[in-house]
Amino acid sequence: MEDFEFLRNITIGQYLPGDSIIHRLDPRTKLLAFLFIVMAVTFSMSYSANIVLVLVTLFLVLLSGISLRYIFSGLKPAVPLIIILAVLQLLFYGDAFTPYGATTRTLFKWGWINITNGSVQLVIVSAMRFVELLFLTSLLTNATTLTGITHGMESLMRPFSRIGVPANELALVMTIALRFVPLLAEQLEIIMKAQASRGADIAYKGKLQFVTTSRQVAVLIVPLFIDAFRRGEDLILAMQARCYIGGRGRSSFVRLKFAGVDYVTCALGLLFSVAMLVFRNYFPF
Amino acid sequence: MSEEPFIQLNDLHHNYLRGTPLEVIALRGVSMEIYKGESVGIIGRTGAGKSTVVQHFNGLIRPREPGRVIVDGQDLNDPDVDIRRIRQKIGLVFQYPEQQLFERLVGDDIAFGPKKLGMEPADRRERVKWAMDMVGLDFEEFKDRFTFSLSGGEMRKAALAGVMALQPEVLILDESTSGVDPRSRRELLERLSTLHKDYGLMLVFVSPNMDDMAGLVDRIYVMDEGRVVMSGTTRAVFSQPEKLREHGLGVPQVTEVIHELIARGIKVEQIPVTVEEGAEEVWKILNS
Repeated sequence: MEDFEFLRNITIGQYLPGDSIIHRLDPRTKLLAFLFIVMAVTFSMSYSANIVLVLVTLFLVLLSGISLRYIFSGLKPAVPLIIILAVLQLLFYGDAFTPYGATTRTLFKWGWINITNGSVQLVIVSAMRFVELLFLTSLLTNATTLTGITHGMESLMRPFSRIGVPANELALVMTIALRFVPLLAEQLEIIMKAQASRGADIAYKGKLQFVTTSRQVAVLIVPLFIDAFRRGEDLILAMQARCYIGGRGRSSFVRLKFAGVDYVTCALGLLFSVAMLVFRNYFPF
Repeated sequence: MSEEPFIQLNDLHHNYLRGTPLEVIALRGVSMEIYKGESVGIIGRTGAGKSTVVQHFNGLIRPREPGRVIVDGQDLNDPDVDIRRIRQKIGLVFQYPEQQLFERLVGDDIAFGPKKLGMEPADRRERVKWAMDMVGLDFEEFKDRFTFSLSGGEMRKAALAGVMALQPEVLILDESTSGVDPRSRRELLERLSTLHKDYGLMLVFVSPNMDDMAGLVDRIYVMDEGRVVMSGTTRAVFSQPEKLREHGLGVPQVTEVIHELIARGIKVEQIPVTVEEGAEEVWKILNS
């Protein structure tokens, strides 16, 4: 029984060292390919297109050598959300969506509740897309170091700095945000344990514990915020002590280099995305 | 010791992040007993598994088979055990306990535990007063102060009072005295010693600091790499500095001095572990 271990269930943002082809790709390649596939996911509303996308996602996970079980465990905390979303969509979205090439057929009607073939498809496709996006995001961060992602982002955004996009600052903000996720999760775990040790009903009522009063949440949130502010202040001080200045003219220790495999991967990603987009209405079901 | 131990740990194993690629082995078979009225120390270098062990004491981590934890006759392997009763009996204070404070006023924060126990407001007030007395915070002066305006040492006392307010039978301090100024630290140690001697509070003291430990505990468990590697009375453990050094630890400075004297051929009656005992031994050597 590990009532308090959150890091077990947070798979996004946790780098897992490895030597797979995915690990070795240039971070820019991974970011671009990620963007392309996410685009494909966003535009695909049919069952068959999503089956293709799930298969592609699984293939990428296999390629990375990261255990499927680990990535799957990241779904756990999201399950209640997925279920609530699915129920709402199923009951109230009957007329909102019509599958391409079909007409809306009502399967069940009672008062406000209107279940159609459209809402059923919406529910199933939404769940599939959720899984795809979660797996992709997890994969990107599991197989790329945080510095890699930051350098990649910065380098991809650099062309836009001419029109005033603060590439360096944005990359820094993202790094800090991502870096703080596991730290705060760890801190939350300590605070929960400390409060449970002095009588708080935490991790005690079983599975329904996410239904709590604001009063109970204050026990955790107040100390967590104080800690986050303290860490933020420490970080500022540390950066100032090292004379950190962001922006243009900052060179970097890591030099990114595009190799042949990177060009191929980017091209494949783009091709796949465009194909999914162009043929999105030609999928059989 | 023929009677049943108050807390019994048997063959505990624990891995953090089990079933993930980041799994870390923390405990590899740990057994310990804490008897009624005892004061026990757990020492070990960072990563030895000390914190993991003490979190088993009050059910923050449940034992994994074949490991067993029995507290006051109750088996923590049983998922239906009233874990809040256990946590009331066994107060656990973490490192940097001031991080658990959340109420605006000190008194309210300390009253959190008693309130959760379902005590009436009047009794709660008495309990808070008692707890503040125990840790050396003046009730009238501090109860209405803003929690976050306290100094580091005062915050720590307030946090300790928050745990004491549950009136636990065992108090576990997981490196709770590190990072406070020497005076607050000495004061805190004296308070704990009083609580142990006068009120029969059982203490489990986790610390990497031998000098703090020596005057306070009767018995010591030494841990390394997830196992108990030495155990015995404080004096027995500190009589083996070489063995302790193998595990990345030392002995109290005063004990170190006496060991040095013994190495140079001076006879000593008994190995001292506290400054008072050390002074006594040195006095005897000087007079002989």
